Amino acid sequence: MTPVRKNYERVVSSAVFAILLSAATASAQESTTLHITLKGNRFQPSELSAPANKPLTIVVTNGDSAPAEFESTTLRVEKVVTGGGTISLNIRPLAPGRYRFFNDFHQETDGYLVVK
Amino acid sequence: MFGFLDGSDIGAQGEQSIELETTGSYGHRRGHFTAIEQEIEYESVPTQFFAYELSAHGMLHSVSGVEGVANNHSASFSGLSGKFSYLILGRGPESPIGLTVSAEPEWARIDDVDGTRTADFSTEFRIAADTELIANRLYAAVNIAYEPGVAKGVHDATWEHSSGLTLGTGLAYRITPTVTVGGAVEYDRAYDGLTFQTFDGHALYVGPTLMINFTPKILLAAAFSAQVWGHAVGDSRALDLTNFERYRSNLKLEFEF
Repeated sequence: MTPVRKNYERVVSSAVFAILLSAATASAQESTTLHITLKGNRFQPSELSAPANKPLTIVVTNGDSAPAEFESTTLRVEKVVTGGGTISLNIRPLAPGRYRFFNDFHQETDGYLVVK
Repeated sequence: MFGFLDGSDIGAQGEQSIELETTGSYGHRRGHFTAIEQEIEYESVPTQFFAYELSAHGMLHSVSGVEGVANNHSASFSGLSGKFSYLILGRGPESPIGLTVSAEPEWARIDDVDGTRTADFSTEFRIAADTELIANRLYAAVNIAYEPGVAKGVHDATWEHSSGLTLGTGLAYRITPTVTVGGAVEYDRAYDGLTFQTFDGHALYVGPTLMINFTPKILLAAAFSAQVWGHAVGDSRALDLTNFERYRSNLKLEFEF
């Protein structure tokens, strides 16, 4: 094996190790869980708070009998919640800001996730 | 929203839709030229950063008396394609600019100009960036696309290599919560060779765009553009009607589920 090839393999294996290490670190980063309920066509609470740059889990419970769809353009998620059902959404680490979410079946029903 | 151009939005994780897309090409040099491509597409957004589309294509040609193109009246299944988009920057609280890269490989069995049998493999690589100039009202987008391809007619012995380059920009204004109108400018260059070896011609298109959200789950987008300037190599006449068509139209009807 030539020295050039040896160096090349060392660089590649170091890069792979770094990628695996960063992936393991990211998955080990604990996520913050937030709970929200849809009841009487309103989100309760209508505003959630979360820390910046940490993965989040939003648990949405539909307290109404009609199905709803939790959606957010800026959080980039969309999921149907059956009447009386509960869903869980994993959200990437976010920069500080106000992120609007809404029920896509009744778009006037909305709320905000405030990331600080 | 931007007609023939892409915005950076790839949709929300969990979104799935079926889209009917009709693209028309009208007019080459002399005679009558109409080519209508109908696609049916399945679109899905499995993560907050990645989306894909899978499409089947059909093509209808009505060609008579066009310079350099044999008369042809036909309709047939014309190919398959996919589109894979990765969101690098999401527009919103995190960034004022959205940025998406995409690759769109396509296999075509019908030549899009003369309508004859062919084997055509191409991939369009596109970078799309957009921003909100006025919050919830005025949007702007810029696109750069590179499309290399190889093609061989059924009676040809050799593969022809080609490439195209597109630069485009568009504006869109939301006049009501469900209706957006705008305009786009697109500059196209055509080459022989996979990496711009021989310049064949160029054209500039300008036209309006329209988007209507009938419901949160049903969307219609339409665009029309006309070649207003161009030049084909070896042809002193105005416009490039050898490599490009005179007019283009696009209609998309999307059903999200």
